[in-house]
Amino acid sequence: MATSGNKSINAKLVLLGDVGAGKSSLVLRFVKGQFVEFQESTIGAAFFSQTLAVNDINVKFEIWDTAGQERYHSLAPMYYRGAAAAVIVYDITNQVSFDRAKKWVQELQAQGNSNMVMALAGNKADLVDARKVAAEASDAQTYAQENGLFFAETSAKTATNVNDIFFEIAKRLPRVQPAPSPSGMVLMDRPPDRVASASCCS
Amino acid sequence: MQQWCRRKIAEAMVDEGDGGGSGRKGRRWWKKKIMMEKVRLVSTVGRSKYVTENQGDFAKLISIHRNGDERTPPIMKGEAAVLNPPSLMAFEHKRDAYGFAVRPQHVQRYREYANIYKEEEEERSDRWKDFLERQAESAQLPLNGLSAEENLAGLHAEATEREADASSEKGVGEDDLSVKNCGSDDSTKDALEKEAVPLVLETKIHRAQIWTHIRPSLSAIEAMMSARVKKKMTIAKIEQDAGKGRPLPSFEDARPAKGGSEEDSEEEFYDVERSDLNQDVLSGESMNAPATAAASDVAPPETSFPWKEELECLVQGGVPMALRGELWQAFVGVRARRVDKYYQHLLAQNANTGDTAEDQSSVSDNKSKGSTTESISLPEKWKGQIEKDLPRTFPGHPALDENGRNALRRLLTAYARHNPSVGYCQAMNFFAGLLLLLMPEENAFWALMGILDDYFEGYYSEEMTESQLRVGPALVTTKDAGDAVTLLQALAGSTFDSSQLVLTACMGYQNVNEARLQELRNKHRPTVKAAVEERLKGLRVLRDSHGLASKLYGFKQESGSLMSGTNKTDQMPEKQTIGDMAPADDFCMGLSGDVEIDSVPDLQEQVVWLKVELCKLLEEKRSAVLRAEELETALMEMVKQDNRRQLSAKVEQLERDVAELRQALADKQEQENAMLQVLMRVEQEQRVTEDARRFAEQDAAAQRYAAQVLQEKYEAAAASIAEMEKRVVMAESMLEATLQYQSGQTKAQPSPRYINTPRFVTSKEQSRVLARATDKKD
Repeated sequence: MATSGNKSINAKLVLLGDVGAGKSSLVLRFVKGQFVEFQESTIGAAFFSQTLAVNDINVKFEIWDTAGQERYHSLAPMYYRGAAAAVIVYDITNQVSFDRAKKWVQELQAQGNSNMVMALAGNKADLVDARKVAAEASDAQTYAQENGLFFAETSAKTATNVNDIFFEIAKRLPRVQPAPSPSGMVLMDRPPDRVASASCCS
Repeated sequence: MQQWCRRKIAEAMVDEGDGGGSGRKGRRWWKKKIMMEKVRLVSTVGRSKYVTENQGDFAKLISIHRNGDERTPPIMKGEAAVLNPPSLMAFEHKRDAYGFAVRPQHVQRYREYANIYKEEEEERSDRWKDFLERQAESAQLPLNGLSAEENLAGLHAEATEREADASSEKGVGEDDLSVKNCGSDDSTKDALEKEAVPLVLETKIHRAQIWTHIRPSLSAIEAMMSARVKKKMTIAKIEQDAGKGRPLPSFEDARPAKGGSEEDSEEEFYDVERSDLNQDVLSGESMNAPATAAASDVAPPETSFPWKEELECLVQGGVPMALRGELWQAFVGVRARRVDKYYQHLLAQNANTGDTAEDQSSVSDNKSKGSTTESISLPEKWKGQIEKDLPRTFPGHPALDENGRNALRRLLTAYARHNPSVGYCQAMNFFAGLLLLLMPEENAFWALMGILDDYFEGYYSEEMTESQLRVGPALVTTKDAGDAVTLLQALAGSTFDSSQLVLTACMGYQNVNEARLQELRNKHRPTVKAAVEERLKGLRVLRDSHGLASKLYGFKQESGSLMSGTNKTDQMPEKQTIGDMAPADDFCMGLSGDVEIDSVPDLQEQVVWLKVELCKLLEEKRSAVLRAEELETALMEMVKQDNRRQLSAKVEQLERDVAELRQALADKQEQENAMLQVLMRVEQEQRVTEDARRFAEQDAAAQRYAAQVLQEKYEAAAASIAEMEKRVVMAESMLEATLQYQSGQTKAQPSPRYINTPRFVTSKEQSRVLARATDKKD
């Protein structure tokens, strides 16, 4: 949940998507600006953080990069619970991964935070020749529009749109501050006469 | 030179080993040779490192070497499938001793500590060597017992004997090396060796590649560990018996190769002298080892290992790299688990689907047997996942080249088929990869199977329920370094860093062994017991009617003392069950395990009751939590009310203030009104005066006008007066003139009447003149 302090917001962000869609690569590109051809498969989940400055406000992303294998699906709610934003990643060269991305969207709509900012990222955009999921009006874009997602085709390899998608998410994050936690309540003691005077009518 | 560049692969070692063995120039020669080659290797590697910029390229370079190997004839290929740690010198500071890339941020530290690691490793090796040495000495069989064992082996079909037999065979295998090293063994062994080698070359090539036995010096440990496995696997044992004869021929081939490669890696990293000694010791004691193994199988296993505690200490101190792979196998009980040809059978299914060209040799071998049983057509959904993860397992690791990945693929596929309910789960690839780095393929399979099936049962199931439950505690329950490392790999997920992992594994986590565990248990038991006690007390107060509680409470204390009283060997077997449980359950299970000694069912009942009680307590806790929440909300409400009162007081005061202000405002307004009235009056007056002034002005203007008119009139009058005066003057003058004329006439006409008459006329005339004058004037 996005919580804002002195001009800075902490936002929990979760990456979801099929195995090998490039979630870790996307995060690695965003957080460290690196890319490795063979990223080690993520087990369970990985955590990163990165801060972006948007309109004088620092948005600190707490990024949970989840494991993509179907097997790890049951662990996913732990990670998207209370997330302010989600990036659903699919591989444009893999129709199955797109179908799975749709499932993730459904699940988030059903289970997740209602005002979660969702983004759909068609990763591996550099592999144009092997494209299986059309970007334009036919598939992804339409789907994203129908479901109120922010859509972009990204490439962790060439860094295309990677920062943009996170920037866009940061911009869309609700700035409203949730009610401060009750732990901050202060009990003040007042002189009794005031209390007495308060009880009687003026 | 070229040959020695490929030293990482054990095949090179086999060749040279044979050369050395047949030359039989003894140990000194061997040592010298190794040293020479070591220097050469370093120089080669140094050069290639110099040429290639980064690790990736270097890995590629190595894989090129590997591919070169592939082109060699199949027999020469020998151990190509075995991924022993590559020549580790080569990677110096970019990769750690296991070939894992050291992260850039850790390179500096790794470089600093490299020597310390090395020293520690040496120290460890010494200690282990010493231990194994003493163990060998303590074994009572004479040296020539070996041949006796061999003879026995042919006669007895019992599994226990078979094992002894196997280790004796291994002993022979080991002797291949010892021949080279010490040269003191006599010719009978050489004869044995020479028999064995051609046999292998002819037949079991594939199997030889992927299955080796661990060094016999560890067989005692293995026997101890596999005793547990055997308890579970009575059925599998029969199968083992059936396949009894098969593995024997492969030992001879596999054994020297394996031993050679180990020695190889050891030497490259440490000094030649020591490892030679080590090898000597190992080969020397290999004769005695079978005896130990045999004895252990005959006697009840728990009592026959007096050195167990020492072993625990040793494991705590860490396992030397050269022994690691084999020790893991020993601890998992690989040999006891192994079912002959099972692995090949699993892979044969693979061959039927015909997707890997890799296993052609085994395909032809096993097709006839394997294909008939199960021609699997079920969609193997894990296949794609495995393929995806192959390049993503320790990417860039030099050992995981084309061959390594194929081995990894086979291994993972075989496990997935072995246990379809689990199939393939990410993280297994790291398990399997790590195992493959340390042992041959089939050994790795059985080790993987042992770890996953026994220690992580249910962990990787489709739902992963177990993994959600026992993430943290599981680490404490691991028995040895292998488990800890693999478990860490599974758990560390988010912060997974292979280089760090192995460093950590090397340094720290080997401490987690049974002794340590026991110690921890003893340490924490009082607190746990106290907690439970307290709970139970509370429970008793609450429900006095529950008589059983007090009874159980008593029982608990008793059993606790009982537990601490039992010796460690007794606890050994049950630890297996404990190992699977989270610490919360641990105590309960510990109870059940201990209590098994006497009356099992009653106590188990109590345990069940205890669990129920625990559930109740949990329930209670939950309700308490709920109540706490309620109270909290109430408190918050009160706090809110409090605030309200304060606020109301403030509001009152403010109201009072407001009233005052209003009063003041009213006053001011009054004043203002008064002022306004005054002002109005003033204004009115002003208006009046203004009016007056205007009137006055008008008057003044009128007067001025009147004055002007008067002036004009006056002027006109003055003018007429002047005119009149002029006329008067004129008339006077005329009158004068007339008078003068009259006077003149009177002198002539002296009648007064006459005089009067003209006078009369003249007055008439005079008025006429006057009128004429006024006319003129008008």
